[in-house]
Amino acid sequence: MNIPGSTYSSASTAELAGRTARLMLYALLAVILMTLDFRGRHVERLRALTFGLAEPVFLVIESPFRLVVSLRASLRDHQGLLDERNQLERALRESEARLLLVDELAEENAELRELLDATDQLESRFLTAELRNIDLNPYSHRVFINRGTRHGLRQGLAVIESAGVVGQVDQVAGRSATVILISDPDHALPVRLQRTGLRTIAYGSGQIDELRLTDLPMNVDLEPGDVLVTSGLGGRFPAGLPVAEVVEVQRPTGEAFAVARVRPLARLGSIRHLLVIELEAPGPLPGLAPMAEDEAADNLPGEDA
Amino acid sequence: MSSRNQGSSLLLLTLCLGLALTVMPLPQVVEPARPYWVAMILIYWNLESGRLRYLGQAFVLGLALDLLTGTLLGQHALGLVILVFLLERFRNRIRFFPPWQQAMAVFVLLLNERIIQLWIILLTDHGWPVWTWWLAPLVAMLFWPWLFLILDSLRRRQRQLRS
Repeated sequence: MNIPGSTYSSASTAELAGRTARLMLYALLAVILMTLDFRGRHVERLRALTFGLAEPVFLVIESPFRLVVSLRASLRDHQGLLDERNQLERALRESEARLLLVDELAEENAELRELLDATDQLESRFLTAELRNIDLNPYSHRVFINRGTRHGLRQGLAVIESAGVVGQVDQVAGRSATVILISDPDHALPVRLQRTGLRTIAYGSGQIDELRLTDLPMNVDLEPGDVLVTSGLGGRFPAGLPVAEVVEVQRPTGEAFAVARVRPLARLGSIRHLLVIELEAPGPLPGLAPMAEDEAADNLPGEDA
Repeated sequence: MSSRNQGSSLLLLTLCLGLALTVMPLPQVVEPARPYWVAMILIYWNLESGRLRYLGQAFVLGLALDLLTGTLLGQHALGLVILVFLLERFRNRIRFFPPWQQAMAVFVLLLNERIIQLWIILLTDHGWPVWTWWLAPLVAMLFWPWLFLILDSLRRRQRQLRS
């Protein structure tokens, strides 16, 4: 069309062929990388390494937003702060009153467990965390929090918020970490149906507001509105944390298993404040020391996240 | 050769700014429509000063984006490599388009990139994206003339400082 001369045109065709070849090469390389990342998780170590290296970059990127937030906080007026303080104080007093009851229940529970000769429940420690002002790709189902190895975080710790389970710690750097959400297609969470005690596994669906139960028996007793809690199997999550609510149960004809769609109770899309739960392995019981150790060892690998 | 090196600090600076804008927090409603800043900056430098024309550069930039945003390694890289290839193919024409036509070209390039992303997203079982996700190339098109003017004036100022 607008090619000035034949010599130029032949040169450009050769060049074009070269470029196409290189395009194919790079595209192939990208596809191989994606496959490795998706299937085999071979690049996990590379990712962990680069995450540590990239952390300062994240901190630098975040700093202007942090400045804006702190500026806004310092410009708040006196009266508003006082009101908020009063509100918080009231909320705190209410929670304290509720905690008193819980304390008593915990004591009673411990006594009952002693009577039954059951093993101690896993001790847990909480660590508050906040989301960093960094948006990761929504399709990565990860959030970025402001706690890291310095605060004692390690891979696999459970992360919750006030409404329910959020996910678990994925990659850890010095002062920050990524949390994989329970909605990630790679994530599986052992759950228990609160009403019937049925145990199953909730898989991430890739949608931020949906999980799936895919291996239910056909005659399962499950209704919309039923609440799922963590079962504590796998040892990563303490038992009894609210996870999700059943939305819909499907029993497709010709299939071996019923399928249910459930909605996570935690607001995965709009969380800001999180709690990281640090489970401590139960202390060895007198006379049962080797077994307790076995149990602790069993608890470590946990479920495949 | 010296003209190539000249102003590469500005190039790096704008690319870093693009990366920062990519992970800048946005409200959840408009988040899917976030324009592809890094690609737009790459297109600018490619068209206006003939830099970032190699597929390898696009590939590395894409990998950096993947690591930064926690996507599948190679996902952005594939999109950017194809984008640079197409851009090179039509570069001589797009360069002399009037601004609105250039914005249209940017729209088409970014829409094509979105389709590649969609293919990967569907292959990895992530389900269909929300409809606002398709607005991103449109938003990028609206931002393009302004980005072009800003980067142009920055470059001109830098050249004046050097001379």
